Amino acid sequence: MIEYPEIDRYASLDSPLHLFDPRAKLIAFLFLIFSVVLIPDLKIAFIGLFFAIFMLILSRIPLTFVLSYMKWVAMFVLSFFIILAFTFPGEEIAEFYFLSITAEGLYTGSLITIRAFSAVILIFPMIGTMRFDTTIKALDRLKVPNSLVQMLMFTYRYIFVFVDEFQRIWTAMESRGFKLRTTLYALRTIGNAMGMLFVRSYERAERVYQAMRSRGYTGNPKTLVEFEIRMKDYLLAVSIIGFAVSLHTISFFLP
Amino acid sequence: MVHISDGVLSLPVLAAGWAITIALIAITLWWSKRKGSIVEEIPKLSVMTAAFFVASLIHIAIGPTSVHLILSGLVGVILGILAYPAIFIGLILQAFLFGHGGVTVLGVNTIDMGIPALVAYGIFKAGNKLIPSESLTSKAGLLGALTGGIAVALAVSLTAGMLYTLGKEYTWAIKALIIYHIPIIVIEAIIVGSVVAFLVKVKPELIGSLGGEKE
Repeated sequence: MIEYPEIDRYASLDSPLHLFDPRAKLIAFLFLIFSVVLIPDLKIAFIGLFFAIFMLILSRIPLTFVLSYMKWVAMFVLSFFIILAFTFPGEEIAEFYFLSITAEGLYTGSLITIRAFSAVILIFPMIGTMRFDTTIKALDRLKVPNSLVQMLMFTYRYIFVFVDEFQRIWTAMESRGFKLRTTLYALRTIGNAMGMLFVRSYERAERVYQAMRSRGYTGNPKTLVEFEIRMKDYLLAVSIIGFAVSLHTISFFLP
Repeated sequence: MVHISDGVLSLPVLAAGWAITIALIAITLWWSKRKGSIVEEIPKLSVMTAAFFVASLIHIAIGPTSVHLILSGLVGVILGILAYPAIFIGLILQAFLFGHGGVTVLGVNTIDMGIPALVAYGIFKAGNKLIPSESLTSKAGLLGALTGGIAVALAVSLTAGMLYTLGKEYTWAIKALIIYHIPIIVIEAIIVGSVVAFLVKVKPELIGSLGGEKE
């Protein structure tokens, strides 16, 4: 019923992006993502999309894996695209009965779709090329406030525990003949199951916290991994950021 | 679906979203730290955030499509003002692990879901004081349903407001968004109501807004 979030399933592949220093990688790709989502022109948005796909190929992460992750964004953006194509005011280029498609609607819809897809694809070369705990450590090194880093770390850890926990509750419910329908009874039962999940997680949190305290937890996690930034990391980061900037400078020279 | 994707909003809206979210996180964390260190709270807070994350992955079928729960009202009722940073963390993980929402819109999406959580906390706390308690469970259930529904309605309105900054050409897209969410408001009200009633019966100390402010 619920899938594991396994963004870092391909973190152990070997590619230039897997070797890229985590801190430099996060900064360079975040910069690039902000840059592609703000592209004002459709042609340049396509250049951004091609670059995102190029980065994905460079990372060697399989395309099928990426496509399965894109379904949420696709749902949001494509419904937006269809609605905009039919309702955006402008020059009408096709008509179906009482509906008509406008050129402006198609243009804006495509621009939004391409920018959104580029941004989602870029998450893979950025996050998918290292283990998620490395990402969290890199955020810590980048001076993200400690309380947020810790919350991110614990929350990430416990998502997997609770997916299993809920799966057990769910299996128990199904074995007693429960079927998820959209009825008042079924919804209230789901509510109780969720309540049970919260109670169990709360009790677990208490135990975990006691165990951590007794092992000397003070709120300042220490990690053993150290990062080492080299010349080629700087070069790669600077070229990605340079590309991101050029996406916006060339739009000035377009008609 | 209240998660706006990357590539939709304009720079000023994205920037304002980040500024407001960072300010609200700083304020809520500072407010909680005032009463003592929150180091102790962090593991508990995170465990609850993870539980919400998992609960929001449950899909409920409505006609041909399926919806997932938003639960920001419930987060507010249980976590109080720390719901805001918790939702921020939850959204970071949804964007990174599921491609749900987006990276640049994190600030805006946290506003869309976090403000309703804070409002839900306020309503639940006030309602709990104002209404004389006859049956604690049914009162909590009703208040839970009310806050759960209001939180979704508010989240949708905020999202609609963010999209409205794009211009009036987007009116129809915004209308579709609102219509899509009407059944979710009802479903969430029922679910949040039953979760809150269940928790009041089974583990009342879990509900931060029952007056049991964390010492």
